[in-house]
Amino acid sequence: MSDLAETVPVVPSPILAEPRPRHPAALADDAQLIAACRRGEARAMEMLYHQYKRRVFGMAHRIVGASDAEEVAQEVFVRVFRALGNFRGDSALSTWIYRLTVNASLSHLAKRGRRQEVSDEGLAELPAPPAVERDSGLAARIESALGQLPAGYRAILVLHDVEGLSHEECAAILECRVGTCKSQLHKARARMREILGPSVDRPVAKERA
Amino acid sequence: MSCTRIRTLLTGYLDGELEADDGSVVRGHLRECAACRQAATDESALRDGLRQLPPVDPPPSLWAGVQAQLAAAEVADAKRPAWRRALARWAPVAPRFATGGLVAAAAVAVVWWRTQRTVDDAQVPAPEVAITAPSPEVEPKVVPPPSSPAGDVTAELAGEAARTTDTYADAAEELLALATEARVQWTTEQKDAFDARVAELRGLIDRAPEGRSRQRAWGKLIKYLQGAVVRDDIALAGGGL
Repeated sequence: MSDLAETVPVVPSPILAEPRPRHPAALADDAQLIAACRRGEARAMEMLYHQYKRRVFGMAHRIVGASDAEEVAQEVFVRVFRALGNFRGDSALSTWIYRLTVNASLSHLAKRGRRQEVSDEGLAELPAPPAVERDSGLAARIESALGQLPAGYRAILVLHDVEGLSHEECAAILECRVGTCKSQLHKARARMREILGPSVDRPVAKERA
Repeated sequence: MSCTRIRTLLTGYLDGELEADDGSVVRGHLRECAACRQAATDESALRDGLRQLPPVDPPPSLWAGVQAQLAAAEVADAKRPAWRRALARWAPVAPRFATGGLVAAAAVAVVWWRTQRTVDDAQVPAPEVAITAPSPEVEPKVVPPPSSPAGDVTAELAGEAARTTDTYADAAEELLALATEARVQWTTEQKDAFDARVAELRGLIDRAPEGRSRQRAWGKLIKYLQGAVVRDDIALAGGGL
């Protein structure tokens, strides 16, 4: 039994689970920031941009790939600033911005998919696939595996596991039920494990050692 | 508890979301089942790996690009006629107003129709308010002449309903075409589930009475198709229905 007692704690217990990273600390009260942006104050707009740029760009980067991430992130911020006047505050500002990001990313993928099917001539102009680094580190393998997932799975993994958002936040962003969100996460992780193969933990063990 | 059941609980267990009882059951199972323990270790490593992915810094050009696009949009705004700017401003809430308008028009039509029936049944002279009513010798329920305001409303409603149905049908056809493109990547189970759901929703449309009920049925089909096409995931598409 002592043998088992040593092996089981490899799985973190719920009590010992690490706290998740939360939203970036608000640089200013959302309501004030929104009001200032609506008035077109350049400083407020820049502040809002800096507050969300990493997450918006990071989500787009991991959902659509490195080559199109800037285009999508730019589209998201333009939509945010243009539509801020219609933001009714039904959800948190962050949820609204992340929803715009996920929707813009998924729409971009759908459009890109159609373009690729319509024109074979465009193959030469297609952007390069997401960059996979040469080293076989876990991070690079995970990024590569993420790129092979269906877009819906990618979105839930990026929101929940990479960005550390709660199931409630993910459900609000993806506009689905919390239960659906949980089952999608379970399936997405299972698919990731299939792609990564049976040795998911080995590189981690080496890295930790 | 079976391994299959334990595997479905693993995600919640690793994320610390299970109730204490379930957590204890999972831990107990993991102590004895090497295969599930390996699965848990793998998923834990994957979860940690995803959490530890480094943040991706946006290029410095991103903000400049956003500013340039915003500036271009403002210039375009300035050149746009005032009525189009007003239209754009109301666009997000227009559907609600349109719905309200339709409901109000329908209410007017119903009141008018009831007034007509009462008038005809009672065989009394048309009251002053019924300037638009047909004369007593006209059969009840006959569509009033086009010159009458109430007739305009009825015809307008019927036309609006027909146009709305056409719009729904066009949107559904377009989405079905996209889904046909996307389905090459689906599994047989996904294809079967998709076909069954689409057939079910089409049945709903056929059975629904003309009007709001049928529009709601169309809306369900369109929402499902959007989910299937945009989310690229049949299960997720079905989640909201």
